[in-house]
Amino acid sequence: MNARVLAVLLRAGTGEKAVLALPLIAFGIVTALVLTVVGGAQSFWTWTDEYAPVYQALAAIALVLLIVPLMNLGGAAARLSARRRDERLSTLRLLGVTPLGVGVATVIESMIVAAAGAVAGVVVHLALTPLIGLIPFRGTALGVEAIMLSPFSVLAVVGGVLLVAAASAVLGLRRVIISPLGVRLRTTVSTAHWFRAIIAVSVLALVFVLVTVFPSVAGLAATIAVLALLFAVSLAVLNVIGPWVLKVAAGRQLRKAEHADRLLAARLVLDSPKAAWRQVSGIAMASFMAVFAGTGVSLMNVMNSGDTTSADAALAADMRTGLVITLVASFLMVAASVGVNQAAAVLDQQELHRSLHRLGVPLAIVDSARRRAIMSPLLVTAIGSATCAGVLVFPLLGIALVTAPESLLTIALVLAVGIGIVWMSTRATRPLLARSFEMV
Amino acid sequence: MNTTVLDARSLTKSYGTTRALAGVDLTIHRGESVAIMGASGSGKTTLLHVLAGIISPDSGTVSFQPSVGQAVELAGLGESARSRLRRERFGFVFQQGLLIPEITAVENVALASMINGVKRAQATAHAASWLAALGLAGMEDRRIGELSGGQAQRVAIARAQATGAELVFADEPTGALDSHTSQDVMNALLWSTTGQGRTLLVVTHDADVAARCSRIVSVRDGQIISSAVTA
Repeated sequence: MNARVLAVLLRAGTGEKAVLALPLIAFGIVTALVLTVVGGAQSFWTWTDEYAPVYQALAAIALVLLIVPLMNLGGAAARLSARRRDERLSTLRLLGVTPLGVGVATVIESMIVAAAGAVAGVVVHLALTPLIGLIPFRGTALGVEAIMLSPFSVLAVVGGVLLVAAASAVLGLRRVIISPLGVRLRTTVSTAHWFRAIIAVSVLALVFVLVTVFPSVAGLAATIAVLALLFAVSLAVLNVIGPWVLKVAAGRQLRKAEHADRLLAARLVLDSPKAAWRQVSGIAMASFMAVFAGTGVSLMNVMNSGDTTSADAALAADMRTGLVITLVASFLMVAASVGVNQAAAVLDQQELHRSLHRLGVPLAIVDSARRRAIMSPLLVTAIGSATCAGVLVFPLLGIALVTAPESLLTIALVLAVGIGIVWMSTRATRPLLARSFEMV
Repeated sequence: MNTTVLDARSLTKSYGTTRALAGVDLTIHRGESVAIMGASGSGKTTLLHVLAGIISPDSGTVSFQPSVGQAVELAGLGESARSRLRRERFGFVFQQGLLIPEITAVENVALASMINGVKRAQATAHAASWLAALGLAGMEDRRIGELSGGQAQRVAIARAQATGAELVFADEPTGALDSHTSQDVMNALLWSTTGQGRTLLVVTHDADVAARCSRIVSVRDGQIISSAVTA
């Protein structure tokens, strides 16, 4: 592929600015969140007292819990960036442009968009730093200096975001390279094999055993660090099993669907269970965190009612603060992920929506179908992930804390907020859908 | 044959300073097939959209006379009433088919009936019978991307018929097809409409397609310049 073809590929087409803005915003959010979380966590590494390792280990847990879904959102943004070129790229493949040429164009474009988003994210992070510095740990505000990252760290984060963008673009466009006709005609049905379930359940069982065994054979800091790793593995496993679970659930809904919107919603999920999972995978992490937060509240009540030192009480309060911060970050990611994906889907299907409008299909049916295609997988994911987290937390804290009223209430509240945010994200994109229906 | 099904009077429609329709009068009779021909930008697609109630004219009237019940004045209806009329009484076939890619052929056809309140099992059975009648038996569970262009157009034709539409509007239904497939699709379209006593209105720039219809209406600069019955 020569430079002229590359230039044509990279040029934004008419009406593509909105589509271009979506992944850019997503990359901005990812960068700002990573910088903020890493900045907050680095302040703990300056402490040297006996509690420092506990804080550092907890910060590590928060980081790994956020990194997996952050990479997911970054990947989704990169795929969106690449997808808007799907048609043009697959046409070029049909015209004989080499797979390498298609790959180069995709990676370059995704990285340009990611770079612009990352720069915006750095600006947002810098603007937020004074506010983040006010958050108290151990009874005093963190301070701007403690959480301000070095230029090298900022560059490393931006580099990481660009790497995610490049890798996701390559993976996302692999199917275009393998089967150009498939994408042009949209014949490729995304599959989620049951074999994923077997692998995932096996790994989760292994994690359960390790979580049960490890605390009795290692020190506190080492245990927390290992647990952080095990929970990160669990989240990654949920990413493997998630699409398959959604496929099974949507298959059942399809068989029972009596109304047009339910049929469409089930088919939208079945068309690509992986895409459906990507949209809601953030809630899997939020559910995980909800269980941590819920049992954490109960644990703090137990700690506060006993004979505890002021440092222990401060640790309990700080754990709560950390959980709230992590939850806020995860909700932001979920809202961004759903909003970006939904807006992109609406823009992608403008022509189809226009034709449905001409046929007299009511906007309410299409809107209901797409929202069901989000909310139904969301509920399955939220409940499934919370159950999974409950099972993993159980050996650490015992069933009494997991099922304590404060735990359950906190879990329910957090999940309700998360689900509410996603619902609002889907509502926010309704005007965009309505605009498609107004066009003739 | 001479019962009026659609009667348009003094239609005008402008987009900014561009006049798409400049005083069009047109009467469509039940059971006839009418081809609207004209160069690109002549106003033929705008005319189809106004006649089908997709858009409202700036002035003029469009009266639809159903086989049962009172005449309906389209230009006086609100958006939701026009949508309902299109959904329940009219059928549409577009150039690209514009079928929903995520659902199967039979679901695409059945969906319109389901939206109109027909039970899924009944809508699916009816849709499957239309697909079979149009030569697509055994392809019910294929997704649209797994069908050829001609097959996809026949699914679109089945969709236009499944709700029992009295009047079918087709916008360049063969525009994306080769000549052989075009013939097949026109055969299917005519058989399923006028062949069943229904009415067909086709916008086309293809003289061969127009020649298959019972009347050809030519449009230029937003006005009808001729209306001739074919041999």
